[in-house]
Amino acid sequence: MKEKNEKNRTNPVGAFFFSIGAFLKEFVTAVADGDAGVKASLVICGAGYLKRKQIIKGILVTLLELAVILYMAFIGAPFLEKFGTLGTVQQAMVYNPTTMKNEVNDYDNSLMILMFGVISLVVLILAVILWMVNVVNNYKLQKRAEAGKHINSFKEDINRMLNEKFHVTLLALPVAGITIFTVFPLIVMIAIAFTNYDQNHMPPTALFTWVGMTNFKSLFTTNLTMTFGYTFRKVLCWTLLWAVLATFTTYIGGILLALLINSKFAKVKKFWRTVFVAAISVPQFVTLLLLRNFFANTGIANTFCANIGLTDLLKKLGLITTNYIPFLTDPVWAKITIVVINIWVGVPYLMLIATGVLMNIPEELKESARIDGANPFQIFRKITMPYMLFITGPYLVTQFTANINNFNVIYLLTQDIYTTTDQKLAASNGKEIDLLVTWLFRLTNEFYNYKMAAVIAIFVFIICAVFTLIAFNFLIKGDKEETFQ
Amino acid sequence: MGKKRVINTILVQVILAVLAVIWLIPIVWLVVTSFSGTDGMNTSRFFPETWSLRNYTRLLAEPDTVAQFPKWFMNTFIIAVFNCIISTAFVLMVSYAMSCMRFKGRKALMNMAVILQLFPAFLSMIVIYFILKAVNLTNSHIGMILVYSGSAGLGYLVAKGFFDTIPKSLREAAYIEGASEARTFFTIVLPLSKPIIVYTIISSFLVPWTDFVFAKIILNSGVSTDWTVAIGLYNMLQKNLLPHYFTRFCAGGVLVGIPISILFVIMQKFYVEGITGGSVKG
Repeated sequence: MKEKNEKNRTNPVGAFFFSIGAFLKEFVTAVADGDAGVKASLVICGAGYLKRKQIIKGILVTLLELAVILYMAFIGAPFLEKFGTLGTVQQAMVYNPTTMKNEVNDYDNSLMILMFGVISLVVLILAVILWMVNVVNNYKLQKRAEAGKHINSFKEDINRMLNEKFHVTLLALPVAGITIFTVFPLIVMIAIAFTNYDQNHMPPTALFTWVGMTNFKSLFTTNLTMTFGYTFRKVLCWTLLWAVLATFTTYIGGILLALLINSKFAKVKKFWRTVFVAAISVPQFVTLLLLRNFFANTGIANTFCANIGLTDLLKKLGLITTNYIPFLTDPVWAKITIVVINIWVGVPYLMLIATGVLMNIPEELKESARIDGANPFQIFRKITMPYMLFITGPYLVTQFTANINNFNVIYLLTQDIYTTTDQKLAASNGKEIDLLVTWLFRLTNEFYNYKMAAVIAIFVFIICAVFTLIAFNFLIKGDKEETFQ
Repeated sequence: MGKKRVINTILVQVILAVLAVIWLIPIVWLVVTSFSGTDGMNTSRFFPETWSLRNYTRLLAEPDTVAQFPKWFMNTFIIAVFNCIISTAFVLMVSYAMSCMRFKGRKALMNMAVILQLFPAFLSMIVIYFILKAVNLTNSHIGMILVYSGSAGLGYLVAKGFFDTIPKSLREAAYIEGASEARTFFTIVLPLSKPIIVYTIISSFLVPWTDFVFAKIILNSGVSTDWTVAIGLYNMLQKNLLPHYFTRFCAGGVLVGIPISILFVIMQKFYVEGITGGSVKG
C-alpha cells in the first residue's frame, strides 16, 4: 500500500507540496477537534502527554520548549533585528568620560549578525514545525486514548527506538553533525554571496551589507577593470576537462589493475597489492610535495631527461623552448603532468575498492555462467562489469564531483611554483591550471574576497548538481536497489 | 594449454612488476632521501651521496621551532583515533538506516545528502572556524575531531552500496526469530560487513594525516607544538626552509607512512574472503 503511494507521486515537487498540505490539514483538525489537553499543548507543549500520564515525555518536551523560548528572547531576537542591515555601528574609538580613556564602542559585527541571524531563523522555523508536529501528536494520543488503545510508557517508547523507529536512533547524531558542520555553514556562505564581504569590508573593523545580485553580475563581466568573466570561462573549461579525465583514467586503471592482480595468472597477489598500497600509504601531501620537487624545473626528473637526451629531442621537435622540461610551470605541460600524477595517486585506491567488490561477486553466479559455456570475457561483460557498476556506480558519481572539487592534487603540485603570464587571469587572481575550487580557495585565503568565492562556490554546486541529477537518474533508479539483495 | 598458462603467468607478472616499479619510484626516493647525509634536495642523483640517520635522530630527539615532529605525531594520532571511531560509527549507522530500513523521508534525506556533497566542502571552513571560535575550540584537538567527524555521515554511499548486497533473507530470518532491528544490525549485518568497515576505518583514519587545509585554518595559532603532522611537514617545504629541512621532511614522511601501512597490513586480510558468498547456504 505504502509502496503504491510512493509510486503514484512521481513528481517529487508535487509530492512535497501535497504532504505539506496534508500536514496542515491534520494540524487544523487537531486544533479544532482536540480536547483540553491538546488545546493546552498549544501553549505548554507537554500538556497533552502529562494528561495521558506520559510524565517524562511531557516534562522533556516542555523543557525543550522553554529552552527555545529563552534562546529566542535573549539571543535570537537582538540579532534578527539587525539582520536586515547587517549592522549600522562601525567600530571606532570613543572617549569614555568615566574611565577617562579611549575605548572601543559597542560596534556591530556584520559576520556575527549574519551567523546568529541564520541560526535564529533556522531555530525559529524548526521550532514552529516541531510545535505543530507536537500538537498533532497530542491529538493522535487523544484519539488512541478515546479508542481505548494501549498508551506507550516511556520505557516502551525507548524500546521502539531500537526497533521500528531504529532509524531515528541511528540518524539522530549523524544528522545533527551534518546540520552543524555542513548545512549551517553552507547557508551562511550562500548568504555571503549576496553581500559585499571582501578585503575592504572585513569585520570587526568594517561593516558589510547586502548588495543583491551584484557579485553574480561581476562573475560574467569582462572589461578593463574586471576580468572575472574571462577567468571564470577559462577555469570552468579546464575544471570540466580535468574532472572527466581524472575520473575515467583512475576508474579504468583501477579496475584493470584489480583484475590483473586477481587474475588466476597472477602469483603472490598479496605482495602486489601491498606494493601498490605502499604508494598510497604515505599521505598525499607528502608524496605530492615530493613529486612537485621531483618534477621541478631544476629537479631530478629534468636531470634524468637531459641525461638521456629527451630534453634535446623535445626541443628539436619544438615542444619546449626552455633548456628544461617545464613539467609544472607551462600551462600545457602542467596539465598533462597533473593528470598523470593523479593516475598515480588514484589508481591504488580504485584497485582496493574494485578488489573488495570483485571478491564479493557471488561465486555461484560466475560458476553457473561458466557451466553455461561463457568465456572469461563474456563473464566480465555480463556479470563482473554490471555488478561492479552497480556497487561502484554511486562512488563513480561522487568521484566525478570530488574531482571537480579536487583541491589537493592541483594545489599541492602547483602552489608557489606555477605563475601565470596571462594578465587577464592574474587580474582576477586565477591561473590556467586552477580548478574552480583552487581559484576560490586562493580568493579567500590570500585575497579575502569572500563574496566572489561564495559566488563561485554556488556555481560549482550548480555544475555538480546538474551532473549528479542526470547521472543518478541513469545509475541508481530507486527500484534497482533491491535487484541484488 | 599448459604452455599458454605459463606464458600468460609470465606476462602478467612482468606487467605487474613494471607497474610496481613506476608506483614505487617516489616512495623509494622518499626513503633514500630520508637517509641522506645532507639537508637540502639532491637534484642530480637519485640516491644520496652520503648515508646517515641524522635526519631521523634530529627529527625525533632534537625538536626546534620549525620541527616538532614527536608532538605533531601524537596530536595527529589522537585526532585520527577519535575521528576514526566517530566517523566509522556515523557512516555505518547512516548506511544501515538508508540501506536496510524503509521509513518516511528516506528518499528525501538521501537526496539532501547528495545535494550537500556537491558544495565545495572547505568553503564552509571559514564559517566553521567562526563557530569553533565562538565556543573556544579553535587550536584544540576536540575542535579538529569535530571538524573531521562532524559531517562524516554524509560519506555513507559506498557502505550503503555494500549493505545493499547483503541478502535480505538473512535479516528476515533474524526478524522471524524475534531479533529487534538493533540486534539485527549488530549481530547480522555488521559481522558480514568487515570489508566495508575496514574500508571506512582506513579512510577515516587517513583523514587527519592527509588533510592540511582544514588543519591550517583551525590550528592557526602559529605555535608549532599545536600542529598536526600535515601542517608541520608542509611548513618545512616553504621556499626559505626547504634547503635546510628537505631531507628531514622526507624522514617525517617515512615515519608518517609507517602507522598507516601497519594498520593496512593488519586490516588487509579482511579483503581476502568473499563475504556474502558463504553466508547464505541452500
